[in-house]
Amino acid sequence: MSALLEARDIVVRFGVLQAVSQASLDVQPGRVTGLIGPNGAGKTTFFNVITGLQEPTAGRVHFDGKDITGKTPFKRARLGIARTFQKLEVFGSLSARENILVAAEQRKTWDRSGFDPKQVTDEILESVGLTDVSEFMVGTLPTGTARLVELARALATNPKLLLLDEPSSGLNEEETEEMAALLRRLVSTGLAVLLVEHDMSFVMGTCEYIYVLDFGSIIATGTPTEVQNNPMVQAAYLGTEEVAS
Amino acid sequence: MRFKFSPRLISALVVAAIIIWVVVQNWGGKPLDSRNISSWLVVGIALGGAYAITAGGLVVTYATTGIFNFSHAAIGCFLAFFYWQLVTKNGVPVVLAIIITLGIVAPAIGIFLDRLIMRRLRDAALVVQLMVTVGLMLTFMGLTLTIWKPTTPRTLPQFFKDTDGVRIGEVVATWHRIITVVVALAVAVFLRWLLYRTRLGISMRAVVDSRSLAGLTGAKPSVVSGASWALGCITAGLAGILIAPESGMVVDNLALVIVVASAAAAIAQLKSIPMAFVGGLIIGLASSFSSTFMSWGKEWTYSNEAIPAVILFIALLFLPQARLETGKIRLTKRTERLTKPWEAGLGALVMIAIVGAWANGWIPWFSGTNFGQRSAGWLGYGISYFVTGLIMLSLVPLIGWAGQVSFANFAIAGIGAVLFSHFGGQNGDPIGILWVMLVCAPLGLVIALPALRLKGLYLALATMAFAEFADKVIVRHPKMIDPGATGVLYKPLEIFGFRLSTDAVDRKAFLMFLVIVFAILFFLLELLRRTRWARRWIALSDSPAASATVGVNLTTTKMTVFMLSGAMAGFAGCLFGLQKGALSVDSFPLFAGLPLVLLLAVQGVRYPVAAFMGVIGLASFPALYQLLGKPSWLTAVELIGPGIAAVAMAFRPEGAVFYSGRDLAGLLPWRADAREEKALMVAKEREMNIGKDEIGDMGITRPFTPDKIAQLDRVLDITDEVDEHPMVPTGGAS
Repeated sequence: MSALLEARDIVVRFGVLQAVSQASLDVQPGRVTGLIGPNGAGKTTFFNVITGLQEPTAGRVHFDGKDITGKTPFKRARLGIARTFQKLEVFGSLSARENILVAAEQRKTWDRSGFDPKQVTDEILESVGLTDVSEFMVGTLPTGTARLVELARALATNPKLLLLDEPSSGLNEEETEEMAALLRRLVSTGLAVLLVEHDMSFVMGTCEYIYVLDFGSIIATGTPTEVQNNPMVQAAYLGTEEVAS
Repeated sequence: MRFKFSPRLISALVVAAIIIWVVVQNWGGKPLDSRNISSWLVVGIALGGAYAITAGGLVVTYATTGIFNFSHAAIGCFLAFFYWQLVTKNGVPVVLAIIITLGIVAPAIGIFLDRLIMRRLRDAALVVQLMVTVGLMLTFMGLTLTIWKPTTPRTLPQFFKDTDGVRIGEVVATWHRIITVVVALAVAVFLRWLLYRTRLGISMRAVVDSRSLAGLTGAKPSVVSGASWALGCITAGLAGILIAPESGMVVDNLALVIVVASAAAAIAQLKSIPMAFVGGLIIGLASSFSSTFMSWGKEWTYSNEAIPAVILFIALLFLPQARLETGKIRLTKRTERLTKPWEAGLGALVMIAIVGAWANGWIPWFSGTNFGQRSAGWLGYGISYFVTGLIMLSLVPLIGWAGQVSFANFAIAGIGAVLFSHFGGQNGDPIGILWVMLVCAPLGLVIALPALRLKGLYLALATMAFAEFADKVIVRHPKMIDPGATGVLYKPLEIFGFRLSTDAVDRKAFLMFLVIVFAILFFLLELLRRTRWARRWIALSDSPAASATVGVNLTTTKMTVFMLSGAMAGFAGCLFGLQKGALSVDSFPLFAGLPLVLLLAVQGVRYPVAAFMGVIGLASFPALYQLLGKPSWLTAVELIGPGIAAVAMAFRPEGAVFYSGRDLAGLLPWRADAREEKALMVAKEREMNIGKDEIGDMGITRPFTPDKIAQLDRVLDITDEVDEHPMVPTGGAS
């Protein structure tokens, strides 16, 4: 199976600081891939490279067989990459429904399948359970709900690949469980999901494949169990002396 | 990677070619001998030195507080007049006067502004930050004009004006100029020392890098921001005192130094103090080069004064593309719902009814007083207020929805007015209005073009530069307004049965036409707000990064709103021309456009109805004068009005319409939702107001002893009472 997203040898340098160094990663359709690592490991920077918010110093990004390195964020969105943000990036002065409508209407500009944006919006509101708050300005909604708005907005672009930056942060236990269920439902339709997450039980419960990033490099890959048992991962998380070298 | 620089290289070559062409075309014919060159350099370096001082201070304030101070030069102007008062009127010795002005008054102003206003703006929207400082700028200008009436000519003596100065080559450098250069160097060294060698300076630089992290290093944000405002005011005053003897004690000229300081700040990318000094020097040298070697002819008489604005524009072309920033989302406190179309229609009818009733004398109370006489004079005021209202309306989608702060719309309207005198206004042809709109729409775009890829503040600077350029170069060209021509430029315009002219008999019809047009545009804007266009603009303003990642092309989306706003401003301009009848070359100064942006912002820039409230606001001062019999205290209130507006904005950033609208909507029987929202809002506001600052103000500092924790708990209890949602950790690192 060829990967939907292939990021190859990505390097991002901010001055002398190397935020991401030679990191590669594949995302397959129909499953949740996890990208984990300690704070400051470069996860969000990596996300920004994939979505075009950050230009890599070196390396290529391929999506759906095409080289998309250097393409602007909105062009990538049109190809089928959608994301949420670690810190909320909702349209705070629009209602929840309008937030999703903006994305659905935007999709009209490249998707000629003749869908009705209003109808798509209603369906998505329904599926993520936001119908009750759809008329509220998002800026007034609690964090957990606003995160759902972000997710719903991303879904409204009808993506092939969904990147979620810490989807469970700001959610309580119950909401986290709902989020995990929602993700499992989404990947069952063939969507590819890549998520950055700190909540280990959430990661282990949802991800089928995991990449571990530390100081900008991928130090381990594999299934949740493999990763958990990897001594380098344990070292990176627990901060023990370096094991490898 | 090297090929990536080629677009910049090409634009650099193009700009250089244009500059060379302009220079050659307007060459004055003076030989480039050592005498002329040294005279150019002596004047240019001295001027540049003074500019560098003020630019350096502006950048320090912006970098450490995140607030771009449009009142910087106006404060400098006020201080220069204050210094003049001490030295020439009160006979205070120069050294003592300098100590009082720059050592006491300037820092006091800075600290006062910081305490009262600026601290509240730290996380405010760009519109609010800019409007507050624009309000202060108008206040300081007004204060200076009132205390020191412009009818009396004043000169500020140069330092050591009776001495000969120093011979450099073949020219004499006056001591004043030498002192200016020495002081500029001293300020540069001082700032360098302050920022790199002192504890306070290191804190200030830490704030530049990360405002939240700086708090962790033990730097007190309040001390840092107070110090940087004080420093900003001192440099502004110093530059004012140095520039005033050269430029003359003219308020507008001294306040316009803000364009110079902004251009230098743009060259410095708003953060590098050495580059701000270089920028100031470049502008000084360019201005001096122009006045030494160029001869602009009578077509471009004022081009000299537009040089800083042009440099600002060029600097913007070469700034690196801004990254799409994330994590800057302010969760707004808005809870209100959209206006329904029938409500907007009702509102439009109410506007027409109110103005119609007044214009026809159907309001008895107004009819009996001086205020309500509906004399031709009053109807004329009404017309001019509604023309201004139309310009304000053009700002609602641009500033209010798309968040693109523009000061250029008054200038665009001015250009529209001038164009209309050529395109049909001169024969009373209404089709001319369409042509003007077709020109003004792309004009709005062209102004924004250099700033489209940059962050919002640069756009404000670009539009300010354009307004200045339009005033000094475009409308003053004899092909635009012929200064020799006198009398009325426009024939009366017959449109839909209304006759629009300056004639006293036509004024009621003109006013009714305007209010109907205004109401229709209001209604259309409210409808537009419900369409995908407005949604996209607001999305873009709320989060550019998120907009891009759902597929919004930020550049083309911004372009659409600029074109709409430009066309609306051009339309208003045509009516502006008709209302004036004649235009003079100085009808459209930069400073005339700022109050109406401020007025709209105070009313609530997101709401079309705010433009109507702005019109009422404009009418209220003359009305009060009539009603109260011209009391002098009202003049004082009018004078500091922009300052009051600025303070009001700091406390009520969403604007009056929002806050009063929340209450007023609750009075409408069908708006139970508004009543509920109000309650929710009050609760939310109380919760939001308990921030870091308040905790700091209560004297709760680390280490957290048990009693302090108890105090914190008491504070936080308030939020628990009103917030039914469980406290959840917000995003961010866990």
